Amino acid sequence: MRYFIRRFLFFLLTLWTAVTLNFIIPRLEPGDPAEDIVRRLAGQNKPIDPAQLHAIRLMLGIPGGNIFQQYIDYLNLLFHGQFGVSYTYFPYPVTTLIGQSIMWTVGLVLTTNIIGFIAGNLLGAFAAWKRNSIFDSFVSVGLSFVGTLPYMWIALVLLFIFAFQLQLLPMGGGFSETSTRQMSWGYTLDIMQHALLPALSILITGPIGWIMGMRNNMVQTLREDYTRLAIAKGLKPWKVALLYSARNAILPNVTGFAMSLGGIMGGVVLVESIFNYPGMGRLFFEAVGNRDYPLMQTILLFTIVGMLLANLLADFVVGLLDPRVRKGKN
Amino acid sequence: MDRQRRLFSLTSLLLLLLVIVSACGNSQNQGNAKQPAGGNGMIETLNGGAFGGGSNPQVNYNPFSATALIPINAGYVYEPLMVEDTYSCHVNPWLATDYKWQDAKTLVFTLRDGVKWNDGQAFSADDVVFTMNLIHKFPALDTNGLWTSLNTVTAQGNQVTLKFKTPSVAMFEKVIKQDIVSKHVWEKVSDPVKYTDEKPIGTGPFQVESFNQEQLVLKRNPSYWQADKIKVAHLVFSKEEVNQVEDLKLVRGGYDWNAIFMPDIQKAYVARDPNNNHYWFPAGGEISLGMNLTKAPYNDPEFRHAMAYAINRDQISQKAEFGYVKSASQSGLSVPGQESFLPSNMPNKGIFTYDQKQALDILTKAGYKKDSSGKILGKDGKPINITFLVQNGWTDWIQAAQIVQSNLSAMGFTVNVQTPSPDIVESQRAAANYDMIFSVHGGSCSMYENYEYLDSRSLPTVNYIHYKNPAADKLRDQLQQAVTPDEQKKVVAQLAQLSYEQFPDVPLWYGANWFEFSTRKAVGWPDSNNPYCKPADTLLMLTHLRQNTNSQPGK
Repeated sequence: MRYFIRRFLFFLLTLWTAVTLNFIIPRLEPGDPAEDIVRRLAGQNKPIDPAQLHAIRLMLGIPGGNIFQQYIDYLNLLFHGQFGVSYTYFPYPVTTLIGQSIMWTVGLVLTTNIIGFIAGNLLGAFAAWKRNSIFDSFVSVGLSFVGTLPYMWIALVLLFIFAFQLQLLPMGGGFSETSTRQMSWGYTLDIMQHALLPALSILITGPIGWIMGMRNNMVQTLREDYTRLAIAKGLKPWKVALLYSARNAILPNVTGFAMSLGGIMGGVVLVESIFNYPGMGRLFFEAVGNRDYPLMQTILLFTIVGMLLANLLADFVVGLLDPRVRKGKN
Repeated sequence: MDRQRRLFSLTSLLLLLLVIVSACGNSQNQGNAKQPAGGNGMIETLNGGAFGGGSNPQVNYNPFSATALIPINAGYVYEPLMVEDTYSCHVNPWLATDYKWQDAKTLVFTLRDGVKWNDGQAFSADDVVFTMNLIHKFPALDTNGLWTSLNTVTAQGNQVTLKFKTPSVAMFEKVIKQDIVSKHVWEKVSDPVKYTDEKPIGTGPFQVESFNQEQLVLKRNPSYWQADKIKVAHLVFSKEEVNQVEDLKLVRGGYDWNAIFMPDIQKAYVARDPNNNHYWFPAGGEISLGMNLTKAPYNDPEFRHAMAYAINRDQISQKAEFGYVKSASQSGLSVPGQESFLPSNMPNKGIFTYDQKQALDILTKAGYKKDSSGKILGKDGKPINITFLVQNGWTDWIQAAQIVQSNLSAMGFTVNVQTPSPDIVESQRAAANYDMIFSVHGGSCSMYENYEYLDSRSLPTVNYIHYKNPAADKLRDQLQQAVTPDEQKKVVAQLAQLSYEQFPDVPLWYGANWFEFSTRKAVGWPDSNNPYCKPADTLLMLTHLRQNTNSQPGK
């Protein structure tokens, strides 16, 4: 029990630190959100109109004054669940935007993460079981090469081939431009079609980490005494591989997976930007570029809380699964 | 709208692929063949590129809002009093048929009869007065800053009288472009700053048909006061995508017109369908070499005179700007569009040619010497070391700065190019803490605004060179009082002459207005043969578009 209480107190402390850093860091960045908006409207080749800049400052109502007072106000608003109005999407509140984006990201990233995790661990386990086979060398050498390709490049090449040259799939967006967005099979199919290329581009490099991690861990556990015992007992090879060796090798990957689920909030910035996917990553990328402090802070906050919760959960799960962790300190 | 510099190298990579793919295309068409006359039929749809409002666009048609889906002054739904062709600065009657400066403080508009809001109610002088008072009550809506000098606005019949606190003739461009909203809708709005105006009631040629976060569709307003001139039934805009994807869509023929920067456009775009794909990049603001006038040697006009000869503008155009831009005039005006304002005796429209020998002669005559290793010395006897600040990420400007660096090094200067972030550059130039810099000014039809950078009373972000000359301040004040175009031209010519002789800064090239268009469906686009407006003057452009009756098939 002490273990769980300690984990929880640690969670609270980290949360407070994160919330405070979240307040401080955006304010260290030089620049003026209003100026960004005018510059974006004018472009690089036109001068900025001071009158317009003044009007936009008034419109956004960017807070000034004492930094401590701002910090107290910020905590107070957070406590009441008020995250403010976005600068980029004025006058819409940031929660409206996040509410719309989060479904897309969760749909895309959660599905691909789960597929990637299952496939990655199975492939990794197989490679370790058949180590030094052709399949294993393909996995260890081939995939580590693929893994070094920049993500952006892979996505652009996919886009260029399937969307531009072959014109099989749409070039971007979450659904067709002409869609009426009424729930129907057609709309569902439309969404799937639009999700295919982004999902594919995540799945090319996504599982590599799991594969490599699983393979390396399992090569270790295959040498352990309990695996040898299982083999000596004459168990079927697949039982030895999955139930004895892989079961222990997967533990670090479980923690990793929980962490990566927490990171979903931040979205997959590059995927969503390239495929113009209406998710959190694109929204966050845009918020940073536009110095949209309310939006940026809220997404960061949600990401941090997500990460911390996932971490806490992983600690609990590992504590339950692995008696050594729970009892280690006693 | 030119938002495409950051991910530039990746764009080039993709375009390289494209160029290889399209290498078989011929490039006899220079993008400016004369467009055929159009027919009288209705064009079903035109796709005009991206709407505003970011990656997660929300319904917002508030014409005063910088974050709306339809940009301020776009003119599709809400219209201004008069429409200026910002290429030649000719003013066209619109909601107002005529205007008159009674004196330098009193401006009277005569409004058009028979104009209706798209809900059927009649447009009247009350709406104009209401709009003006609305932006007074809510300064956050006054994006043109009219009430910095406006005093009262009153209506009498179809005449609206604006009285200013001080002589304000130069406010004219800002007054006429103010979008007018209807009194009967907006007087019921409690907070117009946060109002999203979901069913906009305007006088303009289009009204909103549908919006689904990926696409915005506008439909023709059948009761528009000049409906016979609008031959487009629907305008379609899509959500803005990353630059590479926008480029691909343009190349694939996804847009009937757009405004995006694209490297090697002749091969990447025009050659793919030479019959229909065209571009025209008219000159915008002047990108100028600014020197810190609070410091020696930059405070010496003869030194700056030499700089006007020292920089190879053609090399900048070719290497940094794909040859899309032209050398800028030392007059501070945008030629050829605004050449009618130039003094008649100004040689070569004020454009300096590259002549380093001439530059060195001027420096020698002005008393600058070279040391034994060929370095040019300041009047204090020390070698001149120049720090050049240029905005990080603005790749074309950085390349241009490197050309300036190599040009000046060849003469015997030491130039150190630094690339801090744009915010740092902004604050350094406001604090006069730099040697050389690029800055942009001019290019608009408000001559008062174009020369604001010479006024000692301007903000240091505008008068970035920290120029102080009572003569320039006085000429700008005269522009506020010059009520007839002839008087205005006389004053502008003097400002142009001052810029030409005193070299407050050295204009190098004209920033381009990006504009690609396809004649597959429509003809009558503005181009170099018929520059009746700039591509951003959408109201003028839309009233000129006609159906292409003998459309040439694409390749």
